[in-house]
Amino acid sequence: MDQQAIGAIVLFLLTYAFIVAEKIHRTIIAMTGAVLVVILGLVDQETAIHHIDFNTLGLLIGMMIIVSITAETGLFSFIAIKAAKGAKGDPVRILLLLAVITAFGSAFLDNVTTVLLMVPVTFSITRQLKVPPVPFLIAQIISANVGGTATLIGDPPNIMIGSAVKELTFMAFLTNLAPIIIVIQLLLLPIFVFLFRKQIATTDERKAKLMAMDEKSELGDRSLLTKCLVVMGLTILGFFLHQTFHLESATVALAGAFLLLLLTGEKWMEHALHKVEWPTIFFFVGLFVLVAGLVETGVISRLATEAIELTGGNVTSSALLILWLSALASAFLDNIPFVATMIPMIQEMGNQGIQNLEPLWWSLALGACLGGNGTLIGASANLIVAGLSGKEGHPISFVQYLKIGFVVMLFTVVVANIYLYLRYLL
Amino acid sequence: MAKLKYDYDPRVLDIGEKADQGDVEFQFRILQDKERGLASLRRIRDRFHDNPIVTDVLFYQQDNGEVQVIVRGDFYEEFILALMKHRLLRRVWWEE
Repeated sequence: MDQQAIGAIVLFLLTYAFIVAEKIHRTIIAMTGAVLVVILGLVDQETAIHHIDFNTLGLLIGMMIIVSITAETGLFSFIAIKAAKGAKGDPVRILLLLAVITAFGSAFLDNVTTVLLMVPVTFSITRQLKVPPVPFLIAQIISANVGGTATLIGDPPNIMIGSAVKELTFMAFLTNLAPIIIVIQLLLLPIFVFLFRKQIATTDERKAKLMAMDEKSELGDRSLLTKCLVVMGLTILGFFLHQTFHLESATVALAGAFLLLLLTGEKWMEHALHKVEWPTIFFFVGLFVLVAGLVETGVISRLATEAIELTGGNVTSSALLILWLSALASAFLDNIPFVATMIPMIQEMGNQGIQNLEPLWWSLALGACLGGNGTLIGASANLIVAGLSGKEGHPISFVQYLKIGFVVMLFTVVVANIYLYLRYLL
Repeated sequence: MAKLKYDYDPRVLDIGEKADQGDVEFQFRILQDKERGLASLRRIRDRFHDNPIVTDVLFYQQDNGEVQVIVRGDFYEEFILALMKHRLLRRVWWEE
């Protein structure tokens, strides 16, 4: 191994260690690492820029703009209260409905955004019913990570995979991942009932209060709501058809975002651009350049060779190894840098002779997304919900979550394993 | 310990108040100039909505036009003063 490759590995591992340590913001670390990749001459600036996946970035920015404006309409609160009333104020049924809404929302919106929209209305409903919010929040964390696995736009790992592999279109994600995700989410519902039913009993008087709520009062500007719904509908339709029109998913998301800004006017532009999570965008930029260092110095190619030797080039072994490795890694580490490293490695495994890469991609997506449920630090949504809950006087401890999340994660990955084996590997 | 007391015009609105597990629950019924009264309550809701604490003061608009508000114990005074600021109360005072 030459000096440049060793330099790239050391820099990557150091960056990774600092990201895991969480002493300095992950974006600062990733960007510092990326700049060092160029300064140390591991990759020149032109090549580094070439490795930045602007499709991933464009898709994230476009969706963040659309969601930031839609969030102001009160739509999510309206849906949640309507669901709670549909459940006749019964806390168990409300918990299940909010979990399903979170899963569905996460399939089409970023997980963090979905939980940020769901948490306030969950506090509002649970306060009315005088039941503890934590069972509802844990069910929503798990459902957000599960639901996000269903589509190309649901979770950053899927966005990255879909962007790197042109054949994996929005429809391909939907037809390959959504069916098993629906099964997993349905299997989780009785588990939620078993785990939480005794903790969330309420009185008939409380249920009656909830039933008296006027959900329509949650909806603000109706004209804005109509515009948001039309643009969201068109954008999702665009995702379904993006391959037919030879458009990248980022083009669809950005078209939707700027159509919405065109319709809503300049006053929303500042708000929307302010709400774009620029630290996340730059975190991606940094990671793409760091991984470029590993790719250009031949490290990824060598790792792929080792992986092929380990599995004997067998697709089944490789797919299951990727599934479980991704799940366990994602439970304890940030799944975004992990997936950023795995993508070129799987591509290289293809270059080195593995013919059918499709099961490997689905293994990576299922493992990286479902693995996020394993611990409180497994996914950004988990940390955000736990942080908000703690701030409101309802802390969720690492161990409290681990006891539920890790078991649920193992269960969902076993189900995914069976699905992968039966559908692609048998 | 001194408690913040308040007084309102019973011809304009009716306010029910009861303590419940560390919270104070209010029930507002606007009797006169409904639009203005509800607009004031909405402005108070937005003021608490815009701060970073989610569970300080929670508003529940009801089908019958009444508004239920659940106030966390430690936000009681702040809420009463917001009602005063928006002229839903006539006066507030401390009582031992």
